[in-house]
Amino acid sequence: MSLLEVRGITMRFGGLTAVDDVSFNVEQGQIFAVIGPNGAGKTTLFNAITGVYDPSEGSVRFRGSPVRLEPDVRLGLRAALVAVLAGLSSFMVINIQELWTVGIAANYMLDQPFPWGKAAGDVLDAARAVPFAWGVLPALLGAGLGAGTVAALWQRSRRTPDLIARAGLARTFQNIRLFTDLSLIENVLVGMDSRMTSGFWTNLLRLPAFARERAWTEREALELLEFVGLAERAHEAAGSLPYGHRRRLEIARALASKPAVLLLDEPAAGMNPSEVVELMELIRRVRDRGVTVILIEHHMKLVMGISDRIVVLQYGKLIGQGAPAQIQADRRCIEAYLGTEGEG
Amino acid sequence: MRRVPLPILVYFVVMAVLPLFMGSSGQFYDAFQTIFVFSLVGLGLNVVTGFTGLLNLGMAAFMAIGAYTFAILTSDIYPFQIGFWWGTLATVAFGALAGFLLGAPTLGLKGDYLAIVTMGFGEITLDVLKNLDAVTKGTQGINPLPRPTFGSWSLDLQEERGWYWLLLSFVLLAVLAVRRLERSRSGRAWLSIREDALASECMGIPPKRTKMVAFATGSALAALGGALFAALLSSTGEPASYDFQVSILALCIVIVGGMGSVAGTLVGAVVMVGLNSLVLVKLADWAGAAGFGSASNVLVSPNNWKYLIFGLALILVVRLKPDGLLPPRLEGSSG
Repeated sequence: MSLLEVRGITMRFGGLTAVDDVSFNVEQGQIFAVIGPNGAGKTTLFNAITGVYDPSEGSVRFRGSPVRLEPDVRLGLRAALVAVLAGLSSFMVINIQELWTVGIAANYMLDQPFPWGKAAGDVLDAARAVPFAWGVLPALLGAGLGAGTVAALWQRSRRTPDLIARAGLARTFQNIRLFTDLSLIENVLVGMDSRMTSGFWTNLLRLPAFARERAWTEREALELLEFVGLAERAHEAAGSLPYGHRRRLEIARALASKPAVLLLDEPAAGMNPSEVVELMELIRRVRDRGVTVILIEHHMKLVMGISDRIVVLQYGKLIGQGAPAQIQADRRCIEAYLGTEGEG
Repeated sequence: MRRVPLPILVYFVVMAVLPLFMGSSGQFYDAFQTIFVFSLVGLGLNVVTGFTGLLNLGMAAFMAIGAYTFAILTSDIYPFQIGFWWGTLATVAFGALAGFLLGAPTLGLKGDYLAIVTMGFGEITLDVLKNLDAVTKGTQGINPLPRPTFGSWSLDLQEERGWYWLLLSFVLLAVLAVRRLERSRSGRAWLSIREDALASECMGIPPKRTKMVAFATGSALAALGGALFAALLSSTGEPASYDFQVSILALCIVIVGGMGSVAGTLVGAVVMVGLNSLVLVKLADWAGAAGFGSASNVLVSPNNWKYLIFGLALILVVRLKPDGLLPPRLEGSSG
């Protein structure tokens, strides 16, 4: 069983087929590259894998399982509970004037003890006397709406990026997307969110668990910044970083969730040759931490230098895959891509 | 331990001692009590709009929900009468619940669409309060409301100074709560959604749940503001006191003060509400004394220029200091 199995992924946008029936396997510990000319569908493929898009066809299996929510008893219970509550409240809302008058206004006298039992009985009697159109209908409608909302929300959240990230696939973006107003360390801490356990009340009341978690997360975040060589700027705003450093921060942020797979979308774009060499080194060190790396890249020296396996896309189709030497020897791949590009 | 930022410290020290120098000027206390109420609403909106980046144009509705919940639970025209403190607590909880209920189906909406929904929610809330007269007493409002009690002593409505400090302590509590959340996992998740929703989701932050918690927190604070507003007047006032203007005032406070800045929100409330209830009132007094006042000419009264001046203040801030008077400073960089 491969770590990541991509099976017949097809991505259509209206009449345009951006990715057409692409399949490949990524093994544990590999550096795996996806190459192809601009517009070949590489980033779309990444988006389909990480849940940003829902594939029109095909499936992605990670550690043998499709990463998505499956219906279970809890979902059923939740839908039922919401339906009952929604039904009850829509009944109440429609009839509140009368119920309130019968139950509260009619029974309450200033400075007298309030007869709770009698009031409850009066409200029940009044509720029973409510005609069908004002009673059962709104209740049914509310219940249907409530259950429908739960079902719709669930359906739409079956395969979302956050779910996939939590399962262990982290990514960076082609057009770097940092949280620019947050500091470097905060960026990394957001990446670490999936490993944190403190809840709202722990944070609000500063329970002991808060301090414990803050201690280890900040220590680890600093270690990660150290790993990418940005530790001394930990408390500066991410927006103040020069371009090359931003890539490194994005990688540190993605690594913070301790992912099994790291997807890098054109990490070397806009870098000068010496930065590319540093980046290659960094990617190797990421792999040595036990993280499988999948990267999209145009920079051939980098791709050929570090990849264990390469797939080539053209017009959304997979036209070749193999080790770097095989790709370099494959005539179709050269024609499609290498032959038309001047860079080294 | 991290230090409290200087502006917040200065604000609370100045506010705490200010009454000692103000004698018993009714205008001063009226103005500052309103300022504190709106500081709470502003802090709530700051969580929703400033931290999480969700434009909410219906804060007044949550204020109204708070005021009426508090009134129904505590007024002696109804049998519940759970008292000021329990009433306040229940109101905060109910405000959060109301935020959840509005948020659950709508927070998937993007940008302006959410703003339209919250605006509509504000209008619907007003209409419901106006027309549900068996419960809300229609345009009359619910009164009287109980005074806060401390043991056997209770705070009289005429005790201007006592109310001032009481409200100030609520603001202090709210600031503490908001800052604690901001500097924790919860707050970072909110900020990351504001900064880049897609990147945040790809880092494993569940967008819907995170937004809902922000929305509920903001609504709870606005409801608290509403409840104290009602307690202060011993009446909810008529539903129209929670109209769209109030939501806009809350938004102005956050924008003028600085989106996402707690200290900014406090200053924004002082500036915007102070402009309204101190500067304009003084101007009106002065105009009256100088013989400019005239019932027949509405243009002479500074009060009628209110929204023009609000608009001008907003334009000036957005033009000259787009990040607000006290923009959020990066954690750790300077304090």
